[in-house]
Amino acid sequence: MIGYPEQPKTALQLHISAIKNVSKQTGIPISAIDGIFSAGFSSAIAEHLGLHPAYIDTTSVGGCSFEMHVHHALAAIHAGIINVALVTHGENGWSSRATRGAGTGRARGMDPWDPGSQFSNPYGVSGAPSNYSHAMTRHNHRYGTTPEDFGHIAVVTRQWATLNPRAVMFSKETNPAGGPITIDDVNNARLVSWPLTLLHCCLVTDHGGAVLVVSPEIARSVKTKPVWIAGAGESMSHSNMLEMGDFTATSAAASSAAAYKMAGMGPEDMEMAMLYDSFTVTAGITAEMLGLAPRGEGFRLWKDGHAAPGGKFPMNTNGGGLSFNHSGMYGMQLLVEAYRQLSGTAEDGGFSGLPGKQTKARSCIVNGTGGSLRPRARGDGAR
Amino acid sequence: MPYNKPIPEPGDPLTRPFWDAAKEDKLVLPRCTSCNRVHWYPRWICPFCHATEIEWIEGSGIGYIHTFAVQHRAFGGWADETPFVTAYIDLAEGDRMFTVLRGVDPTRPETIKIGAKVKVEFEAASADVHIPFWRVV
Repeated sequence: MIGYPEQPKTALQLHISAIKNVSKQTGIPISAIDGIFSAGFSSAIAEHLGLHPAYIDTTSVGGCSFEMHVHHALAAIHAGIINVALVTHGENGWSSRATRGAGTGRARGMDPWDPGSQFSNPYGVSGAPSNYSHAMTRHNHRYGTTPEDFGHIAVVTRQWATLNPRAVMFSKETNPAGGPITIDDVNNARLVSWPLTLLHCCLVTDHGGAVLVVSPEIARSVKTKPVWIAGAGESMSHSNMLEMGDFTATSAAASSAAAYKMAGMGPEDMEMAMLYDSFTVTAGITAEMLGLAPRGEGFRLWKDGHAAPGGKFPMNTNGGGLSFNHSGMYGMQLLVEAYRQLSGTAEDGGFSGLPGKQTKARSCIVNGTGGSLRPRARGDGAR
Repeated sequence: MPYNKPIPEPGDPLTRPFWDAAKEDKLVLPRCTSCNRVHWYPRWICPFCHATEIEWIEGSGIGYIHTFAVQHRAFGGWADETPFVTAYIDLAEGDRMFTVLRGVDPTRPETIKIGAKVKVEFEAASADVHIPFWRVV
């Protein structure tokens, strides 16, 4: 995974680098892959690898696509169709600015007759921050929360990033804006879309990542300790934010209910969480939806220090989309980090320069969000 | 000065009646003739009862602020207008529209109230397209 490369990277380069890494780490040869799951690129990747997969999935619904891929791979393996599912991601959110130019104000590839083109885009919204801010305002109104309450999520997540040398915001050396931040820094950062200041928003970087979902027989034979998927679920509530009935709730409530049911576990059985933090408000609301905190009080997990390094319920231990890496669709890094913390891989001093294992967690809930606080998918792994 | 912000392209037969009425500065809304519910955005099928007989009714042009944000970063023509307030509007007839809110002070968001009453108005973005905006009344 990389943040701001000096030489622009292509999405395909990032994919291939991640696929090589996961193959090397597990000892599963690329030639054994019989299912390919990616957010839109599966046929190109299969062809590039010279593979003829038996199962192709190109679900591309935003940052949660990869959690959904895991869910779909689980089903395909259980159906006996495939044995080795590659879930892969490469995205050059940073480098692509150099080639296409940022901020044309027009969604790429959007049909002029799309409801968003006709009924949202004329009103000056430009990307995710300008939309998610509306959810924060509504949450503040409904529950009496404040932007500062959510600001603590940024502060705590940065604490994790300062423990991860690969995080963009690890230190002043890795990025001039890196290193620890205070709640005052968050409050006083420049406004992007009130009530969100810059430090409530995720990074825009390059990154790639890959995971393999395999049959139990193969899992037992690999070099690294596997993480078992206890349950998974997905749910989609809306595509356009116009259709988001309750701005303080997401379909993570439904996706997690499905996953908890499949796992025969509940929120009380989780020992850590990897939640999509495109914005502080995303993570805060998601914690509520997963049953990790009461409605209106998700932010307290961070504000009270439980989610912080050394806390009783670690969350976003890689430094999150807020301070580690966020290429545009961040969900892959949630999976990679959950695997890293649960598998014991990190105990060996890490891989590719990542830090050692930082939690004692034996179970983790992972939740992805995509688009405008929209579809959610979630799985949890327990050893 | 000519309108320099994104202008919708109203060629879609589905939404043509909306833009035709907007040109007359009238707000029309799609309503299902089976369950009588108004939905927004326009659909070929009612998202509530899945009937396909949809009629257009003239709306009251009245709504209420559901939630809002102040945009400090924007692109194209909108960049010159920052900060400006965007809002989701609960329509008196039901369902919700998105807009740039008028009649508010973007530098004092604490004075903007969720639930405040708003009224629709139209701006002629081109000879063919009038865009609805909502104003606090």
